[in-house]
Amino acid sequence: MNPQQLVAATCIVSGLLFIFSIAGLNRPETAKRGTALGVVGMAMAMAAAMIELTAGEPSRATYLLLAGAVLAGTVIGAIYAFTVKMTGMPGLVALFNSFGGLASALVGFNSYLEHSDSGAAHLTEVFLGTMIGVVTFTGSIVAWAKLSEKSWARQVLLPGRNWINLGLLLASSGLGYWFVNSADGALLPLLTMSVLMAVFGIHLVLAIGGADMPVVVSILNAYSGLAATFAGFMLNSDVLIVTGTLVGSSGLILSYLMCRGMNRSFLSVILGGFGQLTTTVAIDGVDGVVTEIVPAKVAELLVNAENVIITPGYGMAVAQAQHPVAQLTRLLRGFGSEVRFAVHPVAGRMPGHMNVLLAEAQVPYDLVFEMDEINDDFATADVVLVIGANDTVNPAAATPGTPISGMPVLRVWEAKQVIVFKRGRGAGYAGVPNPLFYADNTAMCFGDAAQTIQAINAALPGV
Amino acid sequence: MMVIGVPSETAVNENRVALTPKTVVQLRKLGYDVMVEQGAGLKAGLPDAAFQAAGAVLMDKTATWGADIVLRVVAPSDAELALLHPGATLIAFLEPRFDQTMVDKCAAAGITALSMDMIPRISRAQSMDALSSMANISGYRAVVEAAHAFGRFLGGQVTAAGKVLPANVFIIGTGVAGLAAIGVANSMGAVVRATDVRPETAEQVESMGATFVQVNAAQVAQEVSADGYAKETSDDYNQRAAIMYAEQVKQADIVIATAAVPGKASPRLITAQMVAAMTPGSVIVDLAAPGGGNCELTKPGLSYVTDNGVTIIGYTDMVSRLAGQSSQLYARNVANLVGLLTPEPNGVPVVNFDDEIVRTATITLNGTVTFPPPAVQVSAPVAANVLSEQSPAPPPKSPLPWPIQVAAITVAAVAASLLLSLAPTAFLSSLAVFTLATVAGYYVVWGVTSALHTPLMSLSNAISGIIVVGAMWQLSSDSGLVRLIAALAIVVAVINIVGGFVITSRMVAMFRKEAR
Repeated sequence: MNPQQLVAATCIVSGLLFIFSIAGLNRPETAKRGTALGVVGMAMAMAAAMIELTAGEPSRATYLLLAGAVLAGTVIGAIYAFTVKMTGMPGLVALFNSFGGLASALVGFNSYLEHSDSGAAHLTEVFLGTMIGVVTFTGSIVAWAKLSEKSWARQVLLPGRNWINLGLLLASSGLGYWFVNSADGALLPLLTMSVLMAVFGIHLVLAIGGADMPVVVSILNAYSGLAATFAGFMLNSDVLIVTGTLVGSSGLILSYLMCRGMNRSFLSVILGGFGQLTTTVAIDGVDGVVTEIVPAKVAELLVNAENVIITPGYGMAVAQAQHPVAQLTRLLRGFGSEVRFAVHPVAGRMPGHMNVLLAEAQVPYDLVFEMDEINDDFATADVVLVIGANDTVNPAAATPGTPISGMPVLRVWEAKQVIVFKRGRGAGYAGVPNPLFYADNTAMCFGDAAQTIQAINAALPGV
Repeated sequence: MMVIGVPSETAVNENRVALTPKTVVQLRKLGYDVMVEQGAGLKAGLPDAAFQAAGAVLMDKTATWGADIVLRVVAPSDAELALLHPGATLIAFLEPRFDQTMVDKCAAAGITALSMDMIPRISRAQSMDALSSMANISGYRAVVEAAHAFGRFLGGQVTAAGKVLPANVFIIGTGVAGLAAIGVANSMGAVVRATDVRPETAEQVESMGATFVQVNAAQVAQEVSADGYAKETSDDYNQRAAIMYAEQVKQADIVIATAAVPGKASPRLITAQMVAAMTPGSVIVDLAAPGGGNCELTKPGLSYVTDNGVTIIGYTDMVSRLAGQSSQLYARNVANLVGLLTPEPNGVPVVNFDDEIVRTATITLNGTVTFPPPAVQVSAPVAANVLSEQSPAPPPKSPLPWPIQVAAITVAAVAASLLLSLAPTAFLSSLAVFTLATVAGYYVVWGVTSALHTPLMSLSNAISGIIVVGAMWQLSSDSGLVRLIAALAIVVAVINIVGGFVITSRMVAMFRKEAR
């Protein structure tokens, strides 16, 4: 068997393995297998690349370089991934994504340096691949900084920012024309474009509010897939094309799902400025008095409740309250109450973020329901606990003219009693006042959610 | 302090009474005085002495109708209505959806009227849902009546004198009455099948021990999207349904039809032809008889035997035939409603229109018509035992007939092929891979459950590190600079790969199902 054929075959198989890998995430039962298949696919693809490299009989130094690079990457990646707390995980995903983008950009440069005279089609692929790689790189870094709440990454809205972005894109297109049409390509336009696109990536993401970061990370993830696809075109590698496309599909579909969950368009998210709208529409029911409640009283209500629904939001992640919440769940179920979780599609900072946190705290996933599955059941719930959620439970979404208008929300207010756990009295990310807090059947439990819920657990009988 | 009056029921064959001694006690605790007409509970097996012992005062007809709050089962006659004083409150089955004139009469009398059949089907109102509690009883009684008219055992037996086959019971409509009937027939040993237009009730039917029979709706839905004509499909659905009914009715020894729509004529599901195909000795119990019946041959109020020996029971007083039990449940429903109307135990009712139960049930308020009420968000389908004639077929999705769609796609496909033929060959083969991967990716990713979207993101992030392959190839370059850049690319790509996979497996390892 000649090595060329072995490599081609391995590439096909590893492409298939990646498809099976994602298919494995269909159900939690098969998710572990799916992840493992992804690892096998990656190992096979790298083995194939190794065989091809060996066939060229490179020097010992090259092998050392390869071994050193792989080792360094493994150590760094593993250290980060093993030490990160689950609440910091969205940021880490963004950071890893930036590395993927950087790698694509570097491969693009290399591809040019190796074959600078390889024709317009190849040069176009090089140019586009590098371009997307750079945007992914810097954009993801900013997204990581925002998700880790670095102070320099606060939302920046330059006047005429959309014109700046458009100008940068047009300038890059012009540079692309120059690059492709100069007889043997030229390093200058490629480098200039990279600088412009680095600025573009930073500027683009800086303008987007923290609440929209999940969509941004997801789109940037799609970009890094796209960058790999372009690399596949320029290196004539099917495995790169297949894999890059899979990643691209997953990123785009996830972004679409999230935008649909917020009832907003892709474009409005990407153009930024969310949360800056001043609400000019009067929202009914926000001028009453809020009823406050102490943890001991909440415990009393919960003991008598047969049907409890817990609605977590980003606040639960911030307060690291998932473990006390899980304990509360176990205690209440011990009394024979039905406890379920209602998760809004955009709760948290990643799609499915709440599911991951609850899973970490060992809440069985068959207690956790999606919005559409559980929204009709609020009317039959005795007590609903809203833990650090705000916009996703805001009845004002039904009022036209607010930034969250038309967004599907969890109808918690239909329950007999709603208890809202909140750090302070502010509005949510969208800056829309929430009439839920003033409703007659709502009581507010102010304070750090982890502490208040621990206090409730302690006040329950038999603890 | 207000006085509650409970007059006798005067309708023919009506044996129930609106309060029982137990509920008299419950209402007196709310601060009311209770008057009961002499002999009101006799037919339900509740003697006057029992009411007296519970603290009720025995009065005559005029006095009980003159109370501040009058509780009844059946709507009053015109003469009885005239006995009410303006401003009084009347609670009964007034059936305004059946008979709008009752609303006008109550308004003319200047009274506040709450109709028990208007209690919305929301969880909070379950304790007042008299339609459900009565349907439960009629479902039970239907089986008892059927067993009485049926000349055989319901259960199968193997005796020394030979084997007896169990009876086949077919139940149409699986609301409260239908489910109750399934339970009783099943416990008597019959083989029970049941159907409903709502396929989601199949689970409930099976939990009661019956087999669910359904019209092949999947096939129907498929045809909808194919030809796009909703109306024809609706006819088609009804045709299929009719075939299913014919088959099932023919096999059945006992048919219990419960497809009643409150306030509407009952759908005609069993034709004369189907009855003719039944074995002599079979029985049909038509609980929908008050609305005209589900069977064409039903004579409301009567039981008779057809020419081919099928007994058709169309009693409209099924509930009244278990007067003691039905009075007990109805009285509890009514008392709970009065409790809802009485926020303080001081015997003063408050008709609070902010409460959707009160709002929906009230058809007139001090002589003003408040019917029909605004729509209520129901947690269960409004009429749970409805088997409607409407087809469940969704509206047609595609506005264009399929030949036009195919033509448009063909044109686009040819244009795309011509355009692509201009591209270089190497690019084309890459593009083929790209196109197929896009389609595969699209379907695979949509399949991912939303709970695993974060792991999906981090998994696809790890996979995007595949670019490492490109960097590895570039290591073979002769240029030192290229090798250096490639090594750097490998480092960052491997960070992405290893970190991504580790995080993903950390996450998916946490998802666990409840240990049972």
